[in-house]
Amino acid sequence: MTEIICGTAVVIAIFALAAAVWNRHRAKRILKNLDRMLDAAMAGTFTEQDFDESLLSAVESRFAHYLAANAVSAQKLQEEKDKIKTLIADISHQTKTPVANILLYTQLLSEQELSPEGRDCAAALEGQVEKLRALVDALVKTSRLETGILALHPKAGPLAPMLEEAVAQFIPKAAEKGITLTLIPTDTSAVFDPKWTAEAVCNLLDNAVKYTPSGGTVTVEVISYQMFCRVNVTDNGPGIPESERAKVFQRFYRSPAAYETEGVGIGLYLARQIAEGQGGCIKVSSRPGRGCCFSIYLPRS
Amino acid sequence: MAILETRGLRKIYGSGDTEVRALDGVDLAVEKGEFAAVVGTSGSGKSTLLHMLGGLDRPTSGSVTVDGRELSTLKDEELTIFRRRKIGFVFQNYNLVPVLNVYENIVLPIQLDGGQPDKGYTDQIIETLGLQSKLKNLPNNLSGGQQQRVAIARALAAKPAIILADEPTGNLDSRTSQDVMSLLKVTSQRFAQTIVMITHNEEIAQMADRIIRIEDGRIVVRG
Repeated sequence: MTEIICGTAVVIAIFALAAAVWNRHRAKRILKNLDRMLDAAMAGTFTEQDFDESLLSAVESRFAHYLAANAVSAQKLQEEKDKIKTLIADISHQTKTPVANILLYTQLLSEQELSPEGRDCAAALEGQVEKLRALVDALVKTSRLETGILALHPKAGPLAPMLEEAVAQFIPKAAEKGITLTLIPTDTSAVFDPKWTAEAVCNLLDNAVKYTPSGGTVTVEVISYQMFCRVNVTDNGPGIPESERAKVFQRFYRSPAAYETEGVGIGLYLARQIAEGQGGCIKVSSRPGRGCCFSIYLPRS
Repeated sequence: MAILETRGLRKIYGSGDTEVRALDGVDLAVEKGEFAAVVGTSGSGKSTLLHMLGGLDRPTSGSVTVDGRELSTLKDEELTIFRRRKIGFVFQNYNLVPVLNVYENIVLPIQLDGGQPDKGYTDQIIETLGLQSKLKNLPNNLSGGQQQRVAIARALAAKPAIILADEPTGNLDSRTSQDVMSLLKVTSQRFAQTIVMITHNEEIAQMADRIIRIEDGRIVVRG
């Protein structure tokens, strides 16, 4: 009798064990399948494998729905973004001509016989229109860069010609203010888009000349490392407090200390876009009261 | 939303007369995609802070939240796995595995987790860091700067929520440091990777988007 009970117990135990092993095996197989599904989803190659009455097949089907819905909303989001960018591009492009016309008529107005008050107004008008024009120009450039209408085309070449051209543009302005502007000769090569990089360097030079008091110095220098080279624009102007150093690269940021000076706060933003767009970066280091140094890092290969 | 946040973080070693307040109430928030540098002299508490942020040590009081999880609620084993998945480390001495080649080192954290490396993403990282021609090399055959680039690639490949870099240029000469820092900055931009870097070097710190200063276990603000 006891033998029968024992025997049954052993048989039950074996069955239980087998069931446990089988269950474990099945659970593992399902998890492996799920893992495979997720891998495929991340790689963007997910398709439904099984079509049967199992729960896994149902999960697969629901997962496919979810991925499809997700793809649609991502696409919608992208479309929205594109719409906004296009809008900015259109607005800035469409305002270019009227602004140019206002500037022209303002200049014509200044040439007329005017009362002293009228002359003051015309001069103020011209100043404001110039500012607006600079803003619209910069907006057109950034929006074109952002929408990819204008792409950066970095190619290997020497930095010297681009820098010489950029510095030459600011020699008159610097001389007028009594600032010594120096370009330290360099034979370094880098991978960059000459036109746009010149634009970025010009924006840095424009700031340096604008904020450095007369009698100051502005120096352009290239330092070369193994993977990157660095274009430094150093001035001995008022410098930038540490709390503002990251903010100066934001669009439309103007330092409270710079309200008196002309500008709209887009030059450094554009310079950063240009540096980042060609696999480089931009940074500023500064000691308040001693000046600051803006550096554009460009890849060398 | 902050991806890394500390509240009232304190770490006190010893007690009574020998009590040392390594961290004395640190409130810090780092946004997603931000590249922040923590600067302080030796003994300021910056390394202690990094250990707390990375879950390598537990605070006396206060909390550290990484990607929505408070580290103190995790058990030791959970914390180990959390670290592997969510936090990438870059150390001063690179910490590469000497018997594995460059590629194997880069994908090691992913494989430890039983995952498959995302080929497209890893390739992109390798290219950004200029390591294409070095993949079969062993770490010992590389220069310090190259080894640190491999360490950065390894930290990036697992797509962690944050990368913690402890004096990443500490063993490098100043020229190579500039390269490594530029790469950290470029990768933080390109992969929207949040990076918190500890350093005592002002020049190095200026590469970051934001500088956090720590003195005597407290964050100080300088204008």
